[in-house]
Amino acid sequence: MATASNHDVTPVGLLYARFTPVYDLVFGPVLQPGRRAAVGAMALRGGERVLEVGVGTGINAALYPPSCRVVGIDLSEGMLAAAEARIARERLTHVRVQRMDGAALAFADGSFDVVYAPYTISAAPDPIRIVAEMRRVCRAGGRIVLLNHFLSSSRVLAGIEHRLTWLTRRIGFRADLGLQSLLDQTGLRAVSVRRVNVPPIWSLVLCAP
Amino acid sequence: MPVDPELLEILACPNCKTPVTLVKDGAALKCATCHRVYPIKDDIPVMLIDEATIEP
Repeated sequence: MATASNHDVTPVGLLYARFTPVYDLVFGPVLQPGRRAAVGAMALRGGERVLEVGVGTGINAALYPPSCRVVGIDLSEGMLAAAEARIARERLTHVRVQRMDGAALAFADGSFDVVYAPYTISAAPDPIRIVAEMRRVCRAGGRIVLLNHFLSSSRVLAGIEHRLTWLTRRIGFRADLGLQSLLDQTGLRAVSVRRVNVPPIWSLVLCAP
Repeated sequence: MPVDPELLEILACPNCKTPVTLVKDGAALKCATCHRVYPIKDDIPVMLIDEATIEP
């Protein structure tokens, strides 16, 4: 079982250190259709380089074709230990993990063909900074894929989501993140947006950097 | 296993985004611009600004 180390003292790190043992059980099957659809939307070609921001327990690792090279990053040491164990167990030699802050990525500009955040940005304190960093490390003509819950465009539902945010924040998640405002603030252009999972309250957004 | 050479090629300082180079016989990565040194633990670089030391 993972424990909270001295590296996991940030609120997000601490929360996820606590979450690691149960994450797959709670968030595994329910959110899996979205994960599969996201990797499909990447339309990966052999040799392409993928960055996964918020690799967590490595739950996506087996979904990537072995012909591409994947780097997964996470802030939580507990999550990374779980991801490494999974990668070794499933012999996923094309996937590597790194300890990094999504809001201050340690990669050169344009390093990746695809940059992907699976259910990550609404769990982070500063989603705008993370997406801006994702854009920076994505090459021109590459793809940025966001799999996330965004504030509903329905005024009634959006009102409920705003009011529920105090509750969802307790499980490390904000329900009041608006897609259009995120795109506007980061200069990204959405190429396609579609709803995924059951209930379909999550969106799969494919963007051009 | 040492740090993956392919990864080393794209790693940059999280603070100023300058490429980093191996120092201390491969035990750390250093940024020539802001002089931050990032430790390598169990062959994995810890590229966090808060955990870096500044060495002129």
